Amino acid sequence: MEVRVSPQMSIMDKLKILADAAKYDVSCSSSGVNRGNDGTGIGNAVAAGLCHSFAADGRCISLLKILFTNECIYDCRYCINRKSNDVPRASFTPDEVCELTMEFYRRNYIEGLFLSSGILYSPNYTMELICETVHKLRTVHRFQGYIHLKAIPGADPMLIQKAGYLADRMSVNLEMATAEGLREMAPNKHRKNILKPMRQIQNGITENKNELTLYKHAPHFCEAGQSTQMVVGALPESDYQIMSVAENLYDKFSLKRVYYSAFVNVNEDKELPALTGGPPLLREHRLYQADWLLRFYDFKVDELLTENRPNFNMAIDPKADWAVRHLEVFPVEINRADYKILLRIPGIGVKSAKRIIAARRFGPLTFEDLKKIGVVLKRALYFITCNGRMMYPTKIEEEYIVRNLTYQNQMGRGERLPFMPDGTTYRQTTLFDDGMILGAQSYRSILHGR
Amino acid sequence: MEDKYIICEDSLEGILTAVYDAYALREGHEHLHVQIGEEENYRLFAEYVYSQPDSVKTDKVIRTLKERLGPEVYAGICRAAASYDKEKGEAIYRTVVDGITAGSGRRTMENLRNPYVRKTFELARRTANEAHHEVEFIRFQELESGILYSKIGPENNVVPFVMPHFADRLAPENFMIHDVNRDLYGVHPAKEDWYLVSGVKEIGKELLIWSDKEFKYQELFTIFHQTIAIQERKNNRLQQQMLPLRFQDFMVEFNQK
Repeated sequence: MEVRVSPQMSIMDKLKILADAAKYDVSCSSSGVNRGNDGTGIGNAVAAGLCHSFAADGRCISLLKILFTNECIYDCRYCINRKSNDVPRASFTPDEVCELTMEFYRRNYIEGLFLSSGILYSPNYTMELICETVHKLRTVHRFQGYIHLKAIPGADPMLIQKAGYLADRMSVNLEMATAEGLREMAPNKHRKNILKPMRQIQNGITENKNELTLYKHAPHFCEAGQSTQMVVGALPESDYQIMSVAENLYDKFSLKRVYYSAFVNVNEDKELPALTGGPPLLREHRLYQADWLLRFYDFKVDELLTENRPNFNMAIDPKADWAVRHLEVFPVEINRADYKILLRIPGIGVKSAKRIIAARRFGPLTFEDLKKIGVVLKRALYFITCNGRMMYPTKIEEEYIVRNLTYQNQMGRGERLPFMPDGTTYRQTTLFDDGMILGAQSYRSILHGR
Repeated sequence: MEDKYIICEDSLEGILTAVYDAYALREGHEHLHVQIGEEENYRLFAEYVYSQPDSVKTDKVIRTLKERLGPEVYAGICRAAASYDKEKGEAIYRTVVDGITAGSGRRTMENLRNPYVRKTFELARRTANEAHHEVEFIRFQELESGILYSKIGPENNVVPFVMPHFADRLAPENFMIHDVNRDLYGVHPAKEDWYLVSGVKEIGKELLIWSDKEFKYQELFTIFHQTIAIQERKNNRLQQQMLPLRFQDFMVEFNQK
């Protein structure tokens, strides 16, 4: 079979179309693997991951994120490349992808390649093209930088296996949190077909680890693990549903990352929400905060949300929200509390908790020390004591603390959100509080007793 | 007793020699201070001693630091010594005193209650952060000769810290990183060890001509950079927070219009 290429199109035009088509994929991390250069070509990999630039939306550019082709036989509602859309189509050749990757990499523009694709002819055909391209990059060009590949659901397991040996990370997008949601949004995709390659990659990684303990020089399979992504806000699923799925993926599929993507109605599909206020960025932000709590702070989803409280509080972050509902735990004595408890205090993160543990060996810490260590005292002060004293007299009362935390937000001095462009503040947002929806105006009047 | 200031050169060698001299005086540490460069305001009742960088003394101090404080604390001190901050000499000196004389040993950098240790820690972190940023944001341009050339303007002296990364990554390439604030060059000949060159004011313009294809790839990357942003999520403030303007000045995607 011939690759449908458009020879008259310049590499510039192709890059424009195929980067534009790839931009809704969230994952751009280049982390999870340390690999030195073996002397036969260029490239290495740094476990912490490197961001080489930041785009106008503030998202990092780490990898050359492109589709191989934006031709597609599927017709997913949320996707710009769906079959029924009349958009300019293009396909790279394997050589073009190699050229771009190598030349960008040499100039330190990128950390590696992120290659995804629309489905050209069939999942197998597409997966084969992806493998061929990356094989060339690894063997002919001896490229040793980072490669992130999409596993195409429905492709032959042999091809996915092959891709896993070429890539550092692979991902299969879950797209929607529920199977019903997926059926509704992507009539050609099935949950089963998505979970199958995910399981295969997970098993591949486990087997490979065993192999590597036996044979030090065995080839590495998907060393940086796998990730996935869910669209948020296209369907009415709750945060509780989304987070439970994420927790399952971490526990049962050993995923490295789950990404959440605030829905952008690119197709202006009438069946989908119109989102006059822009994509649901605050909700996406809360989901990421909770995701961090799961992965680094030892929280369980059931501690954060329940069937009866299925959505995050938009006014305060999930950790502070948990803390004010568990005031029986507080105040915590900084000089004695163990690591896990320190992590639960709002205003203390992984780094400052570790620094506290290390620094208090030398003697008792004071509030001044905490400040220098990096603890955010204006958030932590309601929850801690130093040497038996609170920073200043404060009530340990849910309502009082929430009022103070959100008051700081309204004054623009509180929680720093990453996406309030050009002075937009909470004043313009609607606040959801335990299912009760209040306009910012009425919320403020309650706060001030008016 | 009156305070004594040991004036030293602004370099790792200069600072460590001053630390050696401070110990060699055997006067206790209470009234001794290490200061970089020139004495700013002469203090009444203070004595000034000048210390010349000395490689033998430096090596002795380095050996002691590595042995008694461990390689990590030593690495932290090196980073702090690369800082732009003029008070780093005093901070490093007091940190060494805390580690060796007060006996914090390998845990010295954790003793954040000591203001000098904290200062050293903060300076080291700042240098490390900037070095990390430069590893990410350095842009190479291919010259006619095939050499990859990069210009940066860092606040701290980070070239020595970024060279090992690129020497591994771009092992088969000839490349050069130029710190315009210090006229310092990190040079890496293909498949050989890298080294530093300083004191060269300006490279001749005729040597800095781009290769034929250089412009094409700069243009391609600029287009990629513009295309990959989602317009509905546009957020310049976040972009600037993640990628401060002082780096943007040296990056092709922000300068190719």
